Amino acid sequence: VNEELSTFFYVPVGTMMLAIAFPAILLPTPNRLITNRWITIQQWLIQLIMKQLLSIHNTKGLSWSLMLITLTLFIGLTNLLGLLPYSFAPTTQLTVNLSMAIPLWTGTVVPGFRYKTKISLAHLLPQGTPMFLIPMIIIIETISLLIRPVTLAVRLTANITAGHSLIHLTGTATLTLSSIHSMTITVTFVTVILLTILELAVALIQAYVFALLISLYLHENA
Amino acid sequence: MLSRVVLSAAATAASSLKNAAFIGPGVIQATRIFHTGQPSLAPVPPLPEYGGKVRFGLIPEEFFQLLYPKTGVTGPYVLGTGLILYFLSKEIYVITSETVSGAALAVLVIYAVKKYGAVIGQFADKLSEEKIARLEEFKQSCIRYAEDGIDFEKEKQAVVQKRHYLFDVQRNNIAMAFEVAYRERLHTVYREVKNRLDYHISVQNMMRRKEQEHMINWLEKKVVQSISAQQEKETIAKCIEDLKLLAKKAQAQPVM
Repeated sequence: VNEELSTFFYVPVGTMMLAIAFPAILLPTPNRLITNRWITIQQWLIQLIMKQLLSIHNTKGLSWSLMLITLTLFIGLTNLLGLLPYSFAPTTQLTVNLSMAIPLWTGTVVPGFRYKTKISLAHLLPQGTPMFLIPMIIIIETISLLIRPVTLAVRLTANITAGHSLIHLTGTATLTLSSIHSMTITVTFVTVILLTILELAVALIQAYVFALLISLYLHENA
Repeated sequence: MLSRVVLSAAATAASSLKNAAFIGPGVIQATRIFHTGQPSLAPVPPLPEYGGKVRFGLIPEEFFQLLYPKTGVTGPYVLGTGLILYFLSKEIYVITSETVSGAALAVLVIYAVKKYGAVIGQFADKLSEEKIARLEEFKQSCIRYAEDGIDFEKEKQAVVQKRHYLFDVQRNNIAMAFEVAYRERLHTVYREVKNRLDYHISVQNMMRRKEQEHMINWLEKKVVQSISAQQEKETIAKCIEDLKLLAKKAQAQPVM
């Protein structure tokens, strides 16, 4: 357990470069219309996810679509590849997630405040609040707005890191227990189940991008 | 498997990475290798039907073929087993928690691939086939549209060839209409002229009749005036005698 905040920002740079660059190999660019199975399934999956994701945007919001697709694919692939043994998931590092979250969140909020100031400010106060609550609510909404990038980053970091830690700990427990009482191989089944749940890390991409998307939506229409 | 992907990716990347990092910027520009071959992007070469053959889903067949002349069929297996046992026993490969998680992942992946691999492959093939069918349908509909256009055009051309019949009929109709109008007018003229001539004739006839009657009346009047009383008596007596003679003759003959 580390006491200092700075220990959150120690990063293994070399491994990180490899781990961030590698997923690109798994996403080939087709140079033909009818592709092999790998690319066909990728295209189908991307279409499926993106239709959901981009359906609520107007034309102006759709200029974000490439960014969102890239985000989804990157986070999803890096999370999945981090599940392999002896691999590294860059999304376990707070630096990576913060450097994704802060610019993206800022890119949605700041244009909203700049071009549609009144509407953006109006979002800080829900309709129909009693008069005496207004100052409190505005303070609370401002804080919740400003803390969004931190929540986005920390959510992703905590989820992935916790999953990885659990797997490692359960694996170590399995090994230790196998010399003590080898019938506890059922623990490996617990590991298996944990892995299955962790593969829902892919769903976290949805959480990430959806959160981003919702803020985008709010500020695009604002 | 991925080894082949890496090898092919490395082969394509190697030529572009020849002048990559660790050299000064000017050197890169000076020594850049431009296209020396004649790469052509179309037509794209066809995809192979099946992937490369692998054993255990990991090791390509070529490896087994490589070792076959020296060690026969069991060579690679003995090598594999020996290597694994060597690494384990000498603790070159240490069993850690990563081993356990790797084993769990392997179980999951093998289970998923065995159970759903073919299904997913068929699904991907179906997607491709649907795409091809859509494009083919579009192509066929374009061809059909063009063929329909051709047939329509040919039909119209054939109709144009037969247009002269229509023109002849129309010409005939018009000629007949002219003829009829001409005759009608002729008849009208004839009738009008005849009318006027009849009028003149009837005027002449009437004049002559009137003159005749007038003359007859005048003559009668004059004759009657010229008959004296004596002549009248003599004529009447003669008539009575003729009548008596006729009566006698009539009595002699029977009445029919």
